[in-house]
Amino acid sequence: MNTEYAYSVFMSIRHGLLALLSQGSRHGYQLRAEFEASTGATWPLNIGQVYTTLARMERDGLVAPGEQDEQGRIVYSITPDGATEVGRWFATPITQTERPRDELAIKLAMAVTTQDVDVAGVVQAQRTATMRTLQELTRSKRGLDSPLDTAQTLILDSKIFQAEAELRWLDHCEAVLSRRSLQHPQEKQ
Amino acid sequence: MIDRDPSPVPPVAEEDPGRALVVELADVSRVHVEGTQFVVALKEVSLKVSAGELIAVMGPSGSGKSTLLNIAGGLDRATSGGVMVEGELLNVLLPSRLAALRRRRVGYVFQDLNLIPSLTAVENVMLPRELDGVRTAKARQEALAVLGEIGVADLAERFPDELSGGQRQRVAIARALVGERRLILADEPTGALDTATGDDILRLLRARADAGAAVILVTHEPRYAGWADRVVFLRDGQIVDSATAGLASAR
Ligand SMILES: Nc1ncnc2c1ncn2[C@@H]1O[C@H](COP(=O)(O)OP(=O)(O)OP(=O)(O)O)[C@@H](O)[C@H]1O
Ligand SMILES: [Mg+2]
Repeated sequence: MNTEYAYSVFMSIRHGLLALLSQGSRHGYQLRAEFEASTGATWPLNIGQVYTTLARMERDGLVAPGEQDEQGRIVYSITPDGATEVGRWFATPITQTERPRDELAIKLAMAVTTQDVDVAGVVQAQRTATMRTLQELTRSKRGLDSPLDTAQTLILDSKIFQAEAELRWLDHCEAVLSRRSLQHPQEKQ
Repeated sequence: MIDRDPSPVPPVAEEDPGRALVVELADVSRVHVEGTQFVVALKEVSLKVSAGELIAVMGPSGSGKSTLLNIAGGLDRATSGGVMVEGELLNVLLPSRLAALRRRRVGYVFQDLNLIPSLTAVENVMLPRELDGVRTAKARQEALAVLGEIGVADLAERFPDELSGGQRQRVAIARALVGERRLILADEPTGALDTATGDDILRLLRARADAGAAVILVTHEPRYAGWADRVVFLRDGQIVDSATAGLASAR
């Protein structure tokens, strides 16, 4: 996992937890369960991650610990700064640079410029793999039908559109590569 | 329930009947002759589709997708290779038998829809059933039921030129689904539809497959191919690759 990706995941978890706290105070286990429920378990969290994130947000003044419940679990609440931060997060579009670096694009660019790499083979293998991912995602989506599943459905849809875009791009790469090899047969295929 | 049928018990099928083979193409080639030129539309393609399966066929324009579909449905004949549909070898079937098999067993959604302009939506859907000898009243009842199933019952009395592109598409799909079709062939059935409506169509085709039909879908859209159990990639008339759901993903 590259650092940029790790950072964007970290920020998403942080803001996700904060968004949940903006609806009322909760303890860690509750936060984890609700986070997973609303993202369709796309990002499974371990409880350690939840408490680490809460501790950092407490340090940054975004949340405040409250009393312990009868089982000794600390209930956290959002602070005014935290509420402002949630509002800012929802209001700010995500820019390309915050997204993970596109590993696949880099891999293909490298494949094209490296001697003796079967680029068409790389494209084909990736296409099969991505299509399988898309089939799995569609299968998961088919399992969800109740209107309560809207959040999960939208998350899956987002991944479906991403897989779709990747497949289209791979088709495009294949078409460009085969045209190149027809036009410049002396070039490496 | 007690079985009072005195007739002998039929031999147990080797396969689960829900998984029975519906279509088999074995080394199928299709060559068009244009003057002195040969156009190879399909080259030694082998494909098996069982009841309950939804197969998507993808590939660039001209790669042979429609040809494959037409051959599987008996609308076009293979130049070489064998084509079996429901245990019948199409290559040797008399034209009249072939026509009957096509009408009763196979439902088509064509790339260019082929709705008859002088018939209303419901009449278009009734047509294949009437050709099968089903009485008009019953055919109408069935047609209305399918139109209802795909959410266009209120358009039953309109003529094709009074429908939007997407609505025409749904009517064409209703026509392919009406009756007991064991094999459903759909060539770009989502062409004019937005993604949510396209998903509805796929849900419908998927439901038919889950109910025991064999479905072959040609599509350019990865999104719809994602509904398939197996995705076959064609290039220059050959199957170059296939992705099967449930196999370990490479990622
Ligand atoms: N009747 C015909 N005579 C000559 N060539 C034909 C005929 N029908 C199809 N072909 C050729 O066979 C090849 C495959 O055609 P086909 O219609 O199966 O492609 P396709 O994959 O469905 O393309 P599209 O995505 O554009 O619909 C093409 O090269 C086409 O020109
Ligand atoms: Mg075609």
